[in-house]
Amino acid sequence: MSDASLPSTEVETSGRRRFFRAWPPAVLLALAWIAFIALVSIFADWLKPYDFMALDLRDRLAEPVFMDGTFRHLLGSDELGRDVLSRLIESVRMSLVIAFLSTLIAAGIGVSLGFLAAHFRGWVEQIILGAIDFMAAIPFLIIALAVLAFFGNTLTLFILLMGMHGWERIARITRGLAIAAKEQGYAAAASEIGASPFRVYGAHILPNIASTLIVAMTLNIPEVILLESGLSFLGLGVQPPLTSLGNMVGYGREYIQTAPWILLSPAVVIILTTLAVSVVGDWLRDRLDPTLR
Amino acid sequence: MLGYIASRAFRALVTILLVLTFAFFILNATGDPAILILSADAPPEAIEAFREEWGLNAPLWKQYLGYLWNLAHGELGRSMRDGRDAWAVVSERIPVTLAITIPALIIKLVIGISAGIVAALWRDTWVDRLVMAFSVTGYTVPSFVLGLALMLVFAVQLGWLPAAGADSWRHAILPIITLGVAGAAVLARFTRSAMLEVLGQPFIRTGLAKGLVWRAVVIGHAFPNAAIPTLTIAGFMIGSLVAGAVVVESVFAWPGVGRLLVSAVGNRDLMVVQAILLLVTVTMVSANLIVDIVYGFVDPRLRTARGGPARGGT
Repeated sequence: MSDASLPSTEVETSGRRRFFRAWPPAVLLALAWIAFIALVSIFADWLKPYDFMALDLRDRLAEPVFMDGTFRHLLGSDELGRDVLSRLIESVRMSLVIAFLSTLIAAGIGVSLGFLAAHFRGWVEQIILGAIDFMAAIPFLIIALAVLAFFGNTLTLFILLMGMHGWERIARITRGLAIAAKEQGYAAAASEIGASPFRVYGAHILPNIASTLIVAMTLNIPEVILLESGLSFLGLGVQPPLTSLGNMVGYGREYIQTAPWILLSPAVVIILTTLAVSVVGDWLRDRLDPTLR
Repeated sequence: MLGYIASRAFRALVTILLVLTFAFFILNATGDPAILILSADAPPEAIEAFREEWGLNAPLWKQYLGYLWNLAHGELGRSMRDGRDAWAVVSERIPVTLAITIPALIIKLVIGISAGIVAALWRDTWVDRLVMAFSVTGYTVPSFVLGLALMLVFAVQLGWLPAAGADSWRHAILPIITLGVAGAAVLARFTRSAMLEVLGQPFIRTGLAKGLVWRAVVIGHAFPNAAIPTLTIAGFMIGSLVAGAVVVESVFAWPGVGRLLVSAVGNRDLMVVQAILLLVTVTMVSANLIVDIVYGFVDPRLRTARGGPARGGT
């Protein structure tokens, strides 16, 4: 993709076209949306017009602005008079935090196990490979359901559980890349001059395979968002009074006939967010590491 | 080939045993079923009687061995809620679930695979873009949102179909479409990338160079090679026939295995949850096993290679 190597006819194309070839409009839109919801979740406390748990029994099931409502409740209010926009902002933050933290956990587990397998080989590697196969073969949603119901649901446990999703893919990628990296001169040189294995893997190999790992993590995020919202939709994820996007849709299902706006905005946000992160993930993959698939 | 099958079958058995063990200890370590079911303020005698009846006073490892022993004799225990045989409770739901998941599977396979092939053969045309747009949507729209959207349009607004329940075949249409569309999108994407990868291989060029027509090259050389990754995803879908509809069943109040699981989990009905876990694990693992064996036939290279084909994630 280096512009210097382009044939002379291509150089004449305007700067704008070159810009959009490197940054397709869909990717720009997706990045803009991600930046937007990231800002919303960072500044959630200032942006929320009301407290997300505040009841307003005089103003129940108020219609949103786009359905002949007033600006009092921009996106309407629900059965208990809670402001949908405020809950939406809170939910976006919750869902993003869960997706981000659990992807970090998955990456932590995956990278550690991948490095262990690559470093020790032998029976350690066989056990880790077995665990990877095991993870890939079990019905994760079903087991997650069972664990949540029987452990009683706390937010910490829920995030940890979501962090179990997808580590096996990162572990498999890390192992493959680390084994390849060990063959290369720089890792051997580092250990020759006396660097500890921790240093070799953490300070030398990790930065070199980071781009691929970032792509894998990015592609993991929409899956976690979908998993989290699915479980919350079933009432087995994030528990009230906390709220998440899936929670809001699950709650709004009861009012689909009378007040469809309760589930409309969280549903749209879920779709746009997973779509945006997937688009960016695919684009990153094509740019950084076309070999990944 | 026999050795290959035997090693795969052994792995499958180990996986099933691991899931069962894992589930048993997780579920039993997380609270006293007697208190969960009878509530904490039940009279102590009642709790004691309950513990005695269900063998909860024995040490955990003894309970575990007892569980495995009963399992080996085909007994999955009784529902702690109504005392019925847990397997009977679960198995009467299986046909209900299959009534929507099998038609959905057919939709997925037919639409997904043909759309993926068409997109790959007409790469970078409007057909390809249409298929990919559909596929990305299928990836990113959660099934409960798709289900609710269909319900809103076809049941609430247009009134053509019933919104929820399972009283007639018309109730099955929306759940089937919801499941089918999402799966077809996933399968289309995988088939397309598998086809594209194969079409870029040298043996395709060789086939064309030796004078074969395009159609013969695609059917004779591209399809069999692209079938392998596609088979993995299809196998995964077959494995999830029994429990892949938890969310969709909930949306449409379809009384299948998935809804039973959600309610059993809510009721803390250990035995039913374990029976469902066993059922789901066995179907998934055997579907994977069958796929692995079919691989062995389709691709002779894999019979000797250790580790087998890389499983594509979703």
